[in-house]
Amino acid sequence: MAEVRPDEISEILRKQLSGFESEADIYDVGTVLQVGDGIARVYGLSKVMASELVEFPNDVFGMVLNLEEDSVGCVLFGDTTLVKEGDTVKRTKRVTSMPVGDAMLGRVITPLGVPIDGKGPITTSEFLPIERKALGVIQRQPVKEPIQTGIVAVDAMIPIGRGQRELIIGDRQTGKTAVGIDAIISQKYTHTEEAKTLGIKPVYCIYVAIGQKESTVAQVVAKLRENGAMDYTTIISAAASEPAPLQFIAPYSGATLGEFFRDNGKHALCIYDDLSKHAQSYRELSLLLRRPPGREAYPGDVFYLHSRLLERASKLNDDLGGGSLTALPIIETQQGDVSAYIPTNVISITDGQIYLESNLFNAGVRPAINVGISVSRVGGNAQIKAMKKVAGSLKLDLAQYRELEAFAKFGSDLDKSTQRTIAKGARLVELLKQGQYAPVPVERQVVSIYFGTKGFMDEISIHDIKRFEKEVLEFIEVKYNQIFESIKKDKDISKETEELLKKAGQEFLSIFKKNV
Amino acid sequence: MAASKVAIRYASSFLDTAIEKNLLDKVSEDFELIYNTLNASSELRRAIKSPIIKNEIKQSIFATIFKDKINVETFTYLDFIISKGRENILLEILEKFFYLRDEYLGLATVQVTTAFDLTAEQKVQLQEKFTSYLNEKVKLSFLIDQKLIGGFVAKVGDTVYNASVIHQLGLLKKEFLHGSVRLN
Repeated sequence: MAEVRPDEISEILRKQLSGFESEADIYDVGTVLQVGDGIARVYGLSKVMASELVEFPNDVFGMVLNLEEDSVGCVLFGDTTLVKEGDTVKRTKRVTSMPVGDAMLGRVITPLGVPIDGKGPITTSEFLPIERKALGVIQRQPVKEPIQTGIVAVDAMIPIGRGQRELIIGDRQTGKTAVGIDAIISQKYTHTEEAKTLGIKPVYCIYVAIGQKESTVAQVVAKLRENGAMDYTTIISAAASEPAPLQFIAPYSGATLGEFFRDNGKHALCIYDDLSKHAQSYRELSLLLRRPPGREAYPGDVFYLHSRLLERASKLNDDLGGGSLTALPIIETQQGDVSAYIPTNVISITDGQIYLESNLFNAGVRPAINVGISVSRVGGNAQIKAMKKVAGSLKLDLAQYRELEAFAKFGSDLDKSTQRTIAKGARLVELLKQGQYAPVPVERQVVSIYFGTKGFMDEISIHDIKRFEKEVLEFIEVKYNQIFESIKKDKDISKETEELLKKAGQEFLSIFKKNV
Repeated sequence: MAASKVAIRYASSFLDTAIEKNLLDKVSEDFELIYNTLNASSELRRAIKSPIIKNEIKQSIFATIFKDKINVETFTYLDFIISKGRENILLEILEKFFYLRDEYLGLATVQVTTAFDLTAEQKVQLQEKFTSYLNEKVKLSFLIDQKLIGGFVAKVGDTVYNASVIHQLGLLKKEFLHGSVRLN
C-alpha cells in the first residue's frame, strides 16, 4: 500500500505557499453606499486613481470611473447581486490592466484577459493598462506596407495599409463580419515560410466581439479554427450577456494586446465588431453614473470614446521597431443611414470606409461592397506596384460603368462604345464577386484583374466569368507559374511578365472558347 | 451627498471661530457631549429631524437639555443651526467637526479591532507603535470582534492595517485556490 509521509506533505505545502507571508497587510478601503445596475457608489477610497481596479467582496472587481468630492463611482465587472450596501471595497493600486503575451494567441478571453475557452490558464509575464495614451507624431511613420485582406474589391480599389484605420460600415446582414473574418484568414499566408523569404512580416490578429451573441462568437471561433487561422488570432469576447462595463473596455483591451505586438516590432490587425454596440454600452453606464446625456442620449465624450481607441492604431518608426497596429472597426447602420450620430463620428475618425449595401447583397454581388463610395485615404502607398498598375484602369472602367448603368436597359439602342463600356463593367462586377472564407492571394488578384481590364473577358458571357477566372488561374499555375512567382518576388509586372501574361491569356482564351 | 458638503461648511466655520476665540477645547468637549447625547437617545434624534416640530420648540428643547451644561458659544452655534433649518444634519456637522479638529491638531484616530480585550499595557504599547509609525499624535479607540480569532485590525482614515488571523486564513485560502488552478 502506498504511503504518504507527513514530511512530504509539509514540503508540498511549503512549496505551494512559497509566496505567502504572514505580515500585516496594509490596504486602503471604502464603503459601498449604493449599488445597482452594475454601478456602485463608494464612500472612502480617498487616494484612489481614475480607472483603478478595485476589489469588492466575493471576488467581484470594479473600475473607478467617477471621482467626486465625497464619493467614488465604480462600474462592476461581475455580478451586481453579490455586492451589498455597506460592503468593504479594497484598492488594488493598479490601473485596470490585462495580461499580454504570445500565449494569448489561439485563445478566447474576456476583456480582463481571463480565458473562457476551457483550455486552462494562460501564462504571461507582462501586464499592460487597458487605457493607454496613443503615440505621438514623432514615434510614427506613414503607412506604407499593404495588409492583404484577400478580398479583390478591397485590395484593388480600397487598399488597406499596416497601421491604417479602415471602417467597415453597413446595415445588418450585409456581411460586415465576413469581411473582417476573411481579412483574418487571409493573414495565414504571412505566417508561412514563403512569406518570410519574400520579406512579408507575419500579422497577428485580434477579433473583439462586443455585445454579440455567444453563438455568433462560437461560430467565428469555429470558422477561424477550421481555416487554420486561430494559431495567430486572439478573440476577446464581451458577449451581450456580459455587463455593460465589460463591453465598454473590450475594444481597449483589444488595442492593448495589439499594442503589445506593435511595440515588439510585430504587426497586428484588430477588428472591433462592432462599435455601435460599444457606444450603446458606454451610453448605458454613463447614464447610470448620472453623467449628463447629449444627442441621442449619448454622453458628451462619445466622440473621444472612439477617437482615443482608434488613434492607438499606428505604424511605428523604424527606431521603435517599425511595428504596426491596423484597426478595422465595424459599424452597423440602420436602414443605410450613415448620417446618424455614431457612424458620422467614426467615419470622420477613420482613414476611409468600406460600404456594404443590402441591395447589392440581395442582387447577388457578394461581398456587397459599394466600390463607388468606399474609399481609403491612405491609397496607393499601401499597394504593391503590380496591383497599382492594374487597379487604375479597373477603377476607371467601373466608374464609367456606374455612370452608364442606368442606360443598360435600353440594350441594343445604344451606340457601340456605350454598349462596350456597359458590357465590360458588368464583367468586372462579376469578377469582383467572391466566396466567403476564400481569400485570394495578391498575385492571383493581379492576374485576374489584368485579364478583366485588358479585354480578355469581353467576349465571354457573364455567367462564365467566374469559371473563366478559376480556370485561367489554374492554367497559369500549371503552365506559366513563373508569372505568379515574378509578381510575388518583384511585386511588380515587368515587361517580360506582361508579355507572358498576354501570351498565356490568348492561349487560354482559344482553349476556353472551343469548350464553350 | 449634498448634505455632507453643507455639513463640512458649517463644521469648518465653527472650528475657525472656536480657534479664533481660543475656545477649541471647550467647544469640542461640548460638541462631544451633544454628540453622545444624540447618539444615546433615538427619541431626541427623531424629534430634531421631524419637520413637524417648530424651530422654536426645538430650540427650547435644546435649551432645557443643554443650557446649563455647555458654553454660551456652543449654545449659540446650536441655535444658529436650528434657525437655519439645518438641524437634520446636526450629527453630520458634529462628525465633520471632529474630523476637521483632529486634522487641525494633527491627531490621527486609529480604530483598533481585536478579538479579545487588550490589557492597559498592550494598549500603551500599541499607541507608542502607531505614534512612531504614523509620525502623528494618535488617538486610539477600541472595538472587540471575536470573528478575528486573533491579532488585530487597525484603521486609520481609509487605510487598514490588517494583522488578524481571519485575514491571514483568507489569504491562505486564496493562495491554495490559486495553486490548484495552476495545477490544472
